[in-house]
Amino acid sequence: MRQRTTFFHRNEDAIDPASLKVSGRTLSGPDIKAVREDRFTLGLDELPAELQELLRLSQELYIRWTSPVPYQAVGPWSSRLSPGLHVFYTPQADTGANVASAHELCLLLRRLGPVDCSSPQPVYDLTDFVEYAVQYVCASSDAECKTRFGAVKQASSLDFSYDTISHVVKVTALWGRQDQSLSISAPASHRVEVGLLTPNQPPHLEEHEIGVTGLLTVLGEDSKPAPTMFTFPSRHKQAGTGFSSKFLTPTGLHPTMQLDIKSKSNRPPMEDSACALHALVTLPRTIFADKYQLEDPLFLASKNLTALRYISQPVDLEAPDYVMDIWGSSVLLELNTPVTESKEGFTAEIPLHLRYQAPQHGGESTYGVPYPAVFWACAAEEGTKFPSSPFDRINLGYDGLFGPRTLFWHLDPVTKSAGDQLVIEGKVPVLDLDKSRSINTVTSIVVVVGFAWVVYRLLMVYLRTGHGVAQPVKVTEKKQQ
Amino acid sequence: MANLLSRFFSSPSLVFTAAYFLRAVLLVYGLWQDANSPLKYTDIDYLVFTDAARSPYDRETYRYTPLLAYLLWPTTPAASASLPGPRELWASWGKILFAAADLAAGYLLVAVLRRHRGLSGPRALRYVGAIWLLNPMVATISTRGSSEGLLGVLVAALLWAVLERRVVLAGVLLGFGVHFKIYPFIYAPAIVWWMDAERMGRGVGGKSHGSHGLLEKLHRFVTPERVTLALVSLATFAALNLAMYALYGHDFLQHTFLHHVTRIDHRHNFSPYNVLLYLASAAQQSGGFKIESVAFVPQLLLSVVLIPLVGAKKDLAATMLAQTFAFVTFNKVCTSQYFLWYMVFLPLYLPNSSLTRHPRLGLAALGLWIAAQAAWLQQGYELEFLGRSTFVPGLWWASLAFFLVNCWILGLIINDLGTTSSTTSTSAEAKGVAVAPAPAPPSSSSRPSETSPDWGFDWTDLDDPTR
Repeated sequence: MRQRTTFFHRNEDAIDPASLKVSGRTLSGPDIKAVREDRFTLGLDELPAELQELLRLSQELYIRWTSPVPYQAVGPWSSRLSPGLHVFYTPQADTGANVASAHELCLLLRRLGPVDCSSPQPVYDLTDFVEYAVQYVCASSDAECKTRFGAVKQASSLDFSYDTISHVVKVTALWGRQDQSLSISAPASHRVEVGLLTPNQPPHLEEHEIGVTGLLTVLGEDSKPAPTMFTFPSRHKQAGTGFSSKFLTPTGLHPTMQLDIKSKSNRPPMEDSACALHALVTLPRTIFADKYQLEDPLFLASKNLTALRYISQPVDLEAPDYVMDIWGSSVLLELNTPVTESKEGFTAEIPLHLRYQAPQHGGESTYGVPYPAVFWACAAEEGTKFPSSPFDRINLGYDGLFGPRTLFWHLDPVTKSAGDQLVIEGKVPVLDLDKSRSINTVTSIVVVVGFAWVVYRLLMVYLRTGHGVAQPVKVTEKKQQ
Repeated sequence: MANLLSRFFSSPSLVFTAAYFLRAVLLVYGLWQDANSPLKYTDIDYLVFTDAARSPYDRETYRYTPLLAYLLWPTTPAASASLPGPRELWASWGKILFAAADLAAGYLLVAVLRRHRGLSGPRALRYVGAIWLLNPMVATISTRGSSEGLLGVLVAALLWAVLERRVVLAGVLLGFGVHFKIYPFIYAPAIVWWMDAERMGRGVGGKSHGSHGLLEKLHRFVTPERVTLALVSLATFAALNLAMYALYGHDFLQHTFLHHVTRIDHRHNFSPYNVLLYLASAAQQSGGFKIESVAFVPQLLLSVVLIPLVGAKKDLAATMLAQTFAFVTFNKVCTSQYFLWYMVFLPLYLPNSSLTRHPRLGLAALGLWIAAQAAWLQQGYELEFLGRSTFVPGLWWASLAFFLVNCWILGLIINDLGTTSSTTSTSAEAKGVAVAPAPAPPSSSSRPSETSPDWGFDWTDLDDPTR
């Protein structure tokens, strides 16, 4: 196992390098306001048996979890995803493995929270997973290990990556910009590398690159932090603006998700480059977008949308929530950025549709939709290469939908008020079970009464005239003429 | 004014031209609205059909026969590129076809009224014009691109063919209709029952003494016409299904037929069962009596057995109306497009109905029918757009009220089967007499123009639509 811990801080949050102390396998210093990333690289034999079994049957497995608690990004970790759990999985080509591994995966996912493959719920909380991990990794007496893992509950994102080519597992936890305690000890069992980095603007820095400077320490090997300075290409950058998301009221059964794009964002972040603003919406299966509705250019334009670029399949436009076994869907929309000189920002509306939910007591059911990921996708210059960067995240669900030269400029999700989560809540009217007790009986009675009345009328006609030809109209009925 | 109206309705060319222009204007207006507003005039179903025209079952929610998709082939981009004329015209091909089907259905209805129900031309036109040809609801539905108009002409043609004793044609239309939309199978027993030997001009044949044995009754029942109808309709139905199965395999079976068996029908609609079905579809455990699982019993008992048995020989058109009305009323799903299924028969029934003989009764029926729907729609609006849980009691009560209103109206229609005066021509036909369009006695003396011909084409054109 190898561990790489990186603190990335803004220039103004720098601390005095002299205040850092390296003693033996421990680095310590004053608290620092920074983003912290811990990356663990593990061999297959270091994993729990059930996970080993699953990975043996898998070609690729990427799990991306993002917290619903807003966080500030700094430096290379600017990529964004909708809060919740995203699983991207490719089984081995062998079809036998296919079924078996899907079953294993479902078992494993239950460790992450209320995720049942037959009725998955959004996972906004890692408590279940942390308890599982602590049980597996930490000895019962190892308090520090438990504290360290406990901190994962507060993580802003957690990634798990495996593919058969590298044959290693990378687990990455990220904590957003906040006060972080600088005290890291390396267990004897594995190598720990600590970096303390800040942005740097060397001359000739290309638009698709990030420059950094700072201190690197390999615990147990270095006696003091070594200064460093380097640049690397990065596909993900910060656009420097934000957006918020809400449902327009009244929501009814066809809620509209409104994206409020903050000022400046109607200008692409790169000059002289083809850029388009996109939103990747991740929807639990309660709610869906209708791809056919999103075909008409006039309709799209009226919502400030340009086109539907991708929608996961299948969606099923008719089934009620409670008979489905898919998790939900994701939708990539290109937004129409109004050409104005003003820096006011603009809104875009995404029309959605609710499925029928199971009847409930009280006649109402709630649902949550995570904020989408909103970003500019810009084509980098011809010939630009993006070799694997030490910090870039890959396989986020949308990067594969764009060409290899695409740069992503991310907008920060902003909540209406501090303390809110990046999930918008809605209510869906359902059949009220409190008032439903008599439905069966009363409907039956009414149907029987209606039926009986019609049969009675038929019988009267039959008794009067039989089943043959009708008799001529009686004179009395012509009287009114 | 009344004079002007009666002059208008005494001219088939005027009425049909007006019906044509009504549809043309709506169609062009629809194109304009579609091109200029995000709110579309065109029905979502039309987009489903035209998408399906490229490859039927690639389009989700296409639940029809591939034949409908073939009919709409000119709407595909590939087709309109190779066809002469502007693309927009061919893109509207389906709507033009559905609107033309409306007119054709109207033409057949007028023919049936005149030739088989003894109405004068102007009187027939007045009913068909007011209820079908110039009814904005009918014109809107077809110009928005809903295929119900095709069904209207199919069913009208079926009735016309039967009354004209064109048994083979009737069989083909019946087989095709059932393949197209399943429900027309309910007409089969009515037509078969109606088609007795006396009516088919065979006389009673060796009028035997009083009591018949069961075997003899059966023998008398199995007439050549009935056998022909059964064989032709079954052959048509089977041939179409086999051809479509050969082409599309399981997709065809699943989407065109099996879907209707497995669908849950949980969404709100006019059916009295709809809230119950929603409740039942989400229930985990089963237990006790479930009316919804036997919902087909009252529905089919009425529309396939009892109504044809009692009514078919008295008045085939009114019986078909009652059958359709019962089928739609007792169905597990009911949306407003289903109303068109029975609306096509109304011009045939109303002239001799108690609803027109007693206008107050007719207005009450119409008023209640509309009021119950309006109540349902209001509750549906609150649910769908305001997000209020109106399932119980609002929507549920409204759908039950609508059901009871429909049962009451159905009772009136059935009652009229026993007292109908439409027998003038039927009795004439039964004697094998050549049927001449019998001018109906003027129902009111205030319509002098009824007899003053002012038509663009002669009424005789309408007597034989095959000409």
